[in-house]
Amino acid sequence: METKPSNGSPAKFVDQLVVPGDVILDLSTMAEQTIKLGGGLRQDCDAISVIKAGILRFSKPNKYWVESSQKRYVPCAEDSVLGIVVDCKPDNFLVDIKGPSVAFLPVLAFEGGTRRNIPRFEAGTLIYVRVVKANPGMNPELSCVDATGKAAQYGALKEGLMFECSTGLSRMLLSSPTCPVLETLGKKLPFEIAVGLNGRVWVNAGSPSIVIVVGNAIMKSESLTKVQQKIMAEKLLQRVQQE
Amino acid sequence: AHSSSELCRATLEGSSSTILCSFPVHRPAGILRHPFRVLKNPRVSLQKKLVPVYSSPLNSQPSITLISAPEASMDSRLANTWRPTVNEKKFIETALASNLRIDDYNRKPIEYRQLTINFGREDGSADVQLGHTHVMGFVSSQLVQPYRERPNEGTMSIFTEFSPMADPSFELGRPGESAIELGRIIDRGLRESRAVDMESLCVLAGKLVWAIRIDLHILDNGGNLVDAANVAALAALLTFRRPECSLGGENGQEVVVHPPEAKDPLPLIVHHLPIAVTFGFFSTEYTMVVDPTHSEEAVMGGRMTVTVNASGDICAIQKAGGVGVPQSEIMRCLRLASDKAESITKNIKDAVEAFNTERMLRKIKRHSTAVAANVSIENDVKGQKDKLAGQRVNESSMSQMERLKLKPDESSISQNDGLGSETRSSDQISSQRAEGNAPLFLGGPSSWDPHTHGVDPDFLKASLAAQGKSNPKAEQSSEDSDDDVAMQEKDASEDVKPPSLATDSSETVEEQKTSIVKKTLKDAVKPKNRRRKKTRS
Repeated sequence: METKPSNGSPAKFVDQLVVPGDVILDLSTMAEQTIKLGGGLRQDCDAISVIKAGILRFSKPNKYWVESSQKRYVPCAEDSVLGIVVDCKPDNFLVDIKGPSVAFLPVLAFEGGTRRNIPRFEAGTLIYVRVVKANPGMNPELSCVDATGKAAQYGALKEGLMFECSTGLSRMLLSSPTCPVLETLGKKLPFEIAVGLNGRVWVNAGSPSIVIVVGNAIMKSESLTKVQQKIMAEKLLQRVQQE
Repeated sequence: AHSSSELCRATLEGSSSTILCSFPVHRPAGILRHPFRVLKNPRVSLQKKLVPVYSSPLNSQPSITLISAPEASMDSRLANTWRPTVNEKKFIETALASNLRIDDYNRKPIEYRQLTINFGREDGSADVQLGHTHVMGFVSSQLVQPYRERPNEGTMSIFTEFSPMADPSFELGRPGESAIELGRIIDRGLRESRAVDMESLCVLAGKLVWAIRIDLHILDNGGNLVDAANVAALAALLTFRRPECSLGGENGQEVVVHPPEAKDPLPLIVHHLPIAVTFGFFSTEYTMVVDPTHSEEAVMGGRMTVTVNASGDICAIQKAGGVGVPQSEIMRCLRLASDKAESITKNIKDAVEAFNTERMLRKIKRHSTAVAANVSIENDVKGQKDKLAGQRVNESSMSQMERLKLKPDESSISQNDGLGSETRSSDQISSQRAEGNAPLFLGGPSSWDPHTHGVDPDFLKASLAAQGKSNPKAEQSSEDSDDDVAMQEKDASEDVKPPSLATDSSETVEEQKTSIVKKTLKDAVKPKNRRRKKTRS
């Protein structure tokens, strides 16, 4: 893609804050290219305009999307999320994933799942699932197997505690390299953590105090910069270690 | 002074259990009441008029169930309801076994979250944050006819609004059971314990009394709404000011309500502050938390709210169903509640005091600018007024000053209970009066300020008598006034008597006027004892 000085140059907007109404791409200038649009972008004839305020991201070779942080989640295919089972039907489990509607998890969508060994999930079970299909207006579909058919950590999460946070925070926790808060805590405390892109985080450790410390540290790091996160986590650790 | 636990009895009535405690003696009868008597009280039925929120007494079967949902589809309701996970219940109880609470690593089971009280610009509006819980309280008043059985008492009613933005389970329309219970607990705490003095709200016995209305808006539900709403109601009641009214007319039957500019509105007489303290009980033995958060409320087995004031008087206890709790545990909760009540009362009183001083300062500053502005207005508006008119105004102002000298004593006594020192309250009144003085130059019920300068009547008279001279004079006298600031205080006390010559007074007044401006601005930070000494001389 050539970078044009006039309006509609994508390079200008990538990694910048965009607001609804901004036109980031002018398709008339690029022929025979396939662009993939993620969330927050819409095509109006030849112009790609922004419909959600946030930061515009680009990933090679041709994917654009707008990243913003909310407390509610907009289901997107291929996202790993934490859901809470609401109800069991003969064909699917109804799972709440903090989206506009409940999602369906087919009873057979488990590794080696047959009609004979359907898992028993009671209402309130926390599960780590993958979003398979998420079309607007329809209930999203989930699965406890990854694309190749393996279980890969999906399934029910036992023990531990689940916290709710914003989608931006969960993205930050999943970013690589590891975000400072998790790194600092991980050096001293043993714990395991599952992060759902829908703004839910599950933490488990040997003792409840570690779980609470980790949970509090994560919640507090919502609006802190990397350096501040590190300092905050270290202070919290000191207090814990004193006891 | 805690009586033995054998005196405690738990009584069950239908789905709710209320506890009767004959607790520390030496409490006036009004404060500790038999719970049943409250429900049978005929007043409750009368209140149906004003208080539709909880017209059905607690023991009737729920026509109060969560109902009439609006057009929310089944699906979105399923999606939007908050549910606790299975892990949460187990974890909260395990953590409590090690004395840990999930919302904050440093918070003990018997500790409260951070309580923040803010006030709005208007009198009688308070906003309370207890952790994530956010409640706003507003107090307003209206003149109404009293109840037939109580012709000398004002009325008080509480309205709660559980906004859907606070919690997805709150729906508009008919209040749910918890909303009604919250309103009832707060109402009982304030009414049965006679916290607010109702008889002082009577204007014309049998005809007109003040009806106080407390509106509580729940903005965010982070758990423990009752305590936060109670604090909001109390803070709003303490900062509320009702208009002053006087009887007039031919046979003294007409009531004149004075607008706030004419006469300062009066505070309510609040004898004590009943604080609600909520406890949560869990199914594991004897696990109790104070001030439960939203998640704890979802998994706890039972709850109890104790309304107690800082002197340790139990005003009300509410335990509606839930796990059974042994007597020893209840007594422990009651003791804990009175400790918590002390610290919360202090918190509320400090916040109210800070608000009152800030309001007073605001009024002083406004007075100084208003005075300067009014001088120029006077000169433009008025033509040549003769001395007579000036003197007449002066005399009426003098009589008002005498009359008003009595007022500060009255209101300061009433304020003694809730607020700070007498000096501060009387100065507050005097400064409020000074502020009221400014816009009303032409006699009428203006509030003179007998305490700060005593200059005001002369200043008024002079400005009426000597127009067109003030502005140039002001410039001249501003140079003189520098020397005169020290002398001005002496002048002030002397000038209480109307000076004989208009010209003389106008000069002194001009100096004093400019030095008024200077003085009042300084006075905003001047120590108050100094002013008081001067007026007594």
